[in-house]
Amino acid sequence: MNEPTDRTGTDRRRGAVLGLAVGDAAGWPARTHRSRVLPGWTRRLRRELDAFAEVESVTTLPVPFALNQDPAPLRLGPGDDAEWVAWTLAGSAPLPADRAAVHARWAVAVADGAVPVGRIAVAVAVDNLRRGVPPPDSGRRNPHHFDDAAAIRAVAYGVLATSPAHAATLAGWDAEVTHAGDGVTAARAVAAAVATAVSLPATAASRPEPTLLAALEAQLPIDQLAGRTLRRALALVAGAGTPAEAVPLLDELVDRVYSYGCAAAQTVPVAAALTAVALRAGTPTIDAILAAAALPSLADSAPALTGALLGAVRGAAELPPSWADRCRRLAGCCDPTLAGVDLLDIVERTTRGQ
Amino acid sequence: MPARRPAGAAQPARDEATRRADQDGTARDQPARDGADRDDAARDRARGCLLGLAIGDAMGAPAENMTAAAIAERWGPVTGFLRDEPAGTDDTEYAAFSALLLIEHGAALTSEQVADAWVRHLAGRSGGFPGAGFSELGTIENLRAGLRPPASGQHLHSWSDGLAMRAAVHGVYAAGDLDLAARLAAVDGAVSHDGEGVYAGQAVAVAVAAALAGARPGEMLAAARARVPADSWTAAALATAATAAGPDALLDALVVRAYPWTDLAPEAVGLAFGAALAADGELRRAVPGAVAMGRDADTTAAIAGALCGAGHGMAGIPAEWVAAIGPVTGRCLGEVVAGLTMRDLADRLVAARPGTRPEARTGR
Repeated sequence: MNEPTDRTGTDRRRGAVLGLAVGDAAGWPARTHRSRVLPGWTRRLRRELDAFAEVESVTTLPVPFALNQDPAPLRLGPGDDAEWVAWTLAGSAPLPADRAAVHARWAVAVADGAVPVGRIAVAVAVDNLRRGVPPPDSGRRNPHHFDDAAAIRAVAYGVLATSPAHAATLAGWDAEVTHAGDGVTAARAVAAAVATAVSLPATAASRPEPTLLAALEAQLPIDQLAGRTLRRALALVAGAGTPAEAVPLLDELVDRVYSYGCAAAQTVPVAAALTAVALRAGTPTIDAILAAAALPSLADSAPALTGALLGAVRGAAELPPSWADRCRRLAGCCDPTLAGVDLLDIVERTTRGQ
Repeated sequence: MPARRPAGAAQPARDEATRRADQDGTARDQPARDGADRDDAARDRARGCLLGLAIGDAMGAPAENMTAAAIAERWGPVTGFLRDEPAGTDDTEYAAFSALLLIEHGAALTSEQVADAWVRHLAGRSGGFPGAGFSELGTIENLRAGLRPPASGQHLHSWSDGLAMRAAVHGVYAAGDLDLAARLAAVDGAVSHDGEGVYAGQAVAVAVAAALAGARPGEMLAAARARVPADSWTAAALATAATAAGPDALLDALVVRAYPWTDLAPEAVGLAFGAALAADGELRRAVPGAVAMGRDADTTAAIAGALCGAGHGMAGIPAEWVAAIGPVTGRCLGEVVAGLTMRDLADRLVAARPGTRPEARTGR
């Protein structure tokens, strides 16, 4: 199927961010993240229920619950990744002129105690910065330097930058504060891919897949884990007719030894592979997102990245209204100041004039 | 080589230590000694290193993953083994495994040979690897999937202390040749580690090689720092080890609070070198000192024991600690290492060195 060619850059920028939010919401971890806005005792009781299930040998898994609190936060909606993109967008207007300006934003946020709650890489980097270890050492002296928190933030630079190269540079400056190695290269790759997609000329949009994959591959060297896994993921799904068919094939890539599913070397390749299949087959974006959500250990961010990449190609108008309407507003689960904020308002405000 | 200074002599100032570490093999300035004496001395230090490693592993094992406060509460001040029948764990077994590869291949060892040995002896084992860490199983999963080094060492735990725990054997083989020690640790490490995991292993191998040539604790650390990238986390951890004022400050500076595991290579070598320096290279103080700090206590104490054992040989190790260490059980790696003794492996590593006299190669 040829992709429709009537999308504007504005709708594609909205699509990248809204697609990320829909994917964020579709993964099961979003409900856990959103439960952070409920009182802490609800989460403590959930941990106790987990132990209860083990002791009593029952298979009923505890999930977030409200008991006597307002259950609204536990409805379908975005969690951590959408808030991090919003935080990055809001802090990057006007666009930082240089590396020092990107790093300075972090220094101020750390000093003010205003950094949103984030993954292990972010928490370690913030602790490093607080102790006077500056970038890039704040990202290097970091056991989870490889996770995809910076690759998520990079979606913001993909929609803000003036070119793919500019997007990669901005994302790299931001990523090196909290990450190193694959954590940085994956951020550069996602930024460049999103910027490439949103700036595709309308006439060229009929075959966006090779252009998008080339943008990712150019940033991810084949002799590193993320680059190697990207090529392997694309090879695994070469014969898949739909994203859903690709799910068991991509399950081969999932690390089952270490315990965290947010490694950029896994989530970015899986998102890229599902995006490639969806573009090839003309599968709706929401179906590719739901396929990513069917890989449980990667469900925190692979659906979000899939939504960002496809949304950047196809625009916000292609997303089902039933999802788009429920995923625009942030819960404030990582940054309480973002509670109730409309993501598309932030996109509109920060990309005006592009 | 013979010891260059008596145990317990005052340590020189740091800049002096750095200068002296750069002078490779000062011991050669001493009057030539009888060859047999020299071989005996070399074997003694090699034995001290590997037994020090095994003692640290066994002493630290009960305290692994505990905090310093919890260890103090449970056992009080650490002065020796924490249980009646101390036993080594993965640190001893992987060190023995790497030693066998050096004994077989010597300085010509390649990463491909190491990978072949992992595939032949480890990847086929069923039922897991009791006591081993993420990086070892991550490597085995990669090897099972057909990846070869360095790709086999690129997994989500490539910065673990799993190479640092076994890299003392590369230092034992290289004895005095610091470049060879660093190279062999990297050759072995490329199979299972990457980046900081390799740097930390190289730091241990280089320090042991320096200690076997008579380097004092400060000189060992300077030699290790000189052979890891200056902007690496490992270099920063070694710098911290050299300057931290006591175990609390060392832990505060090295432990990553938002990370839930205890197996970071830069942290482990920082704690181990810190314990060795704080004890001025005396094993009987350094190993319990490392154990008392907790974290990956079997590995940090094993590294501290290897560093100090290499510096002072068997004379620096309490006889009752030596007597408590039995042959390798093979609980983690199985038959390939079961029944080996660290003393025998040390002798065989010495005999395998290029230039060792033929009679020493066969002697035990």
